[in-house]
Formats: sequence, C-alpha cells, structure tokens
Amino acid sequence: MALEGDRQATSSRRSLKVAISALVQECGFSVAENSVLETLTEMLQSLLSEIGQTSRAYAEHAGRTNPMITDVMMSLIELGINIDGIPRHARRVNKSVFLPPSQSGPSQQ
Amino acid sequence: LVVSNDNPTAGVGLIDFVQHLEDYAPTIPDSVTSYYLSRAGFQSNDPRITRLISLSAQKFISDIVNDALQHCKMKASGQSSKIKGKEKKLTLTLEDLTPALAEYGINVKKPAYYV
Repeated sequence: MALEGDRQATSSRRSLKVAISALVQECGFSVAENSVLETLTEMLQSLLSEIGQTSRAYAEHAGRTNPMITDVMMSLIELGINIDGIPRHARRVNKSVFLPPSQSGPSQQ
Repeated sequence: LVVSNDNPTAGVGLIDFVQHLEDYAPTIPDSVTSYYLSRAGFQSNDPRITRLISLSAQKFISDIVNDALQHCKMKASGQSSKIKGKEKKLTLTLEDLTPALAEYGINVKKPAYYV
C-alpha cells in the first residue's frame, strides 16, 4: 500500500516536471538548469497542495463537503494569485499539452 | 501579486470562463492535479474545478519564468554585444530565477557546498 502511494507520488512529480519544462520552453528558454526545474517542481507541488487545503477549508467553513468554484476563487485570491489573467493564459497561442501518465496496472509478481 | 480591489466584478468573467473548461486540456494533467488535491483532502467530481486549479498553478509558474526571462535578457543586453548578431540559445539558470522569485517573496538560496 505504501509502495503504491510512493509510486504515484513519483509519477506525479515526474509529470509536474515535464509540465514545468513545457511551460519554461513556451516562455522562450531552450535550456534550463536541473536545479531550476526541481525548485519549480517543489513550488508547484506546494502550491497545488496549498490551493487544495485552502479551498477545502473555505468549503467546510460554508458547511459543504464538495468545494465549489467560488471556494477555489476565494482561495486563489487569498493566496495572492491574480485571477484576472487566467482566461488570457488559457487562450495563449503556443499552448502545449502532453499525454497524462496512464494508470499503472496491477503489479505483476 | 496585487489583487485589484477597484474592480468588484473581476471574478464574474472567471465564472463564465470556467463554464468553457468542459473540454480543455491544461498543461498540467488533470490526474496529476487531482492527486495533489486529494492529498490535501480536496475531493471534487467536477473536472472544471480541477482544470481551473491547474490553470492558475501553471499561470503562477509561467509568470515567474517570464520574470526570469526579463532578468536574463537584461543581463544579456548589459554584456558585450559581440554575440548580438546570431540567435543565442537562452538558458534558464538559478541566477536568473532567484531575483524573479524574490519579487514573489520566495527566497531561494543555493547551498554553499553545492556547485
């Protein structure tokens, strides 16, 4: 069980690193130091967890168990992320998408 | 980093925008985002919410990298203009990232022994 969680954590972290590499390339860099990518990966991991925790706190504070879009917006504002630029960011021209990792099948023993 | 308070309808456009996320693929895959969200105790059946979070997170990273790009370009323009003519490959280094992150209140320090 613990091993299964570890595996998912590793694969998620690796996909985050690929996503960050894509974003860095979109911005116009062709080469990046590994320490930069690792720093950004660590930050992104932390940011996603923080958004999740804050949104859940807002939803629970309102007496709900399922978070709503407004809860997420409130937490983004609280975390100091400018929400006005998100639609423009989503419509950027050089958007790159890569295939998400597939679910790992049952382990063969 | 500054959220404008002078525009009370700032979020309305975003709510409309989220309705269009039904078939949108962010750069950060949905499964990865929902993994980290579920680790934080956040459970949602609505993929649009997950995608909104992915988008905001990748915008955060993109903004920082863009700032680093400006630092990199400024540094390059200060140096000798010998290599100006040919297209130079841009490298993202920790040296450029550190001032960009400092603007966001994140202090990165390279360990002294780590060369």
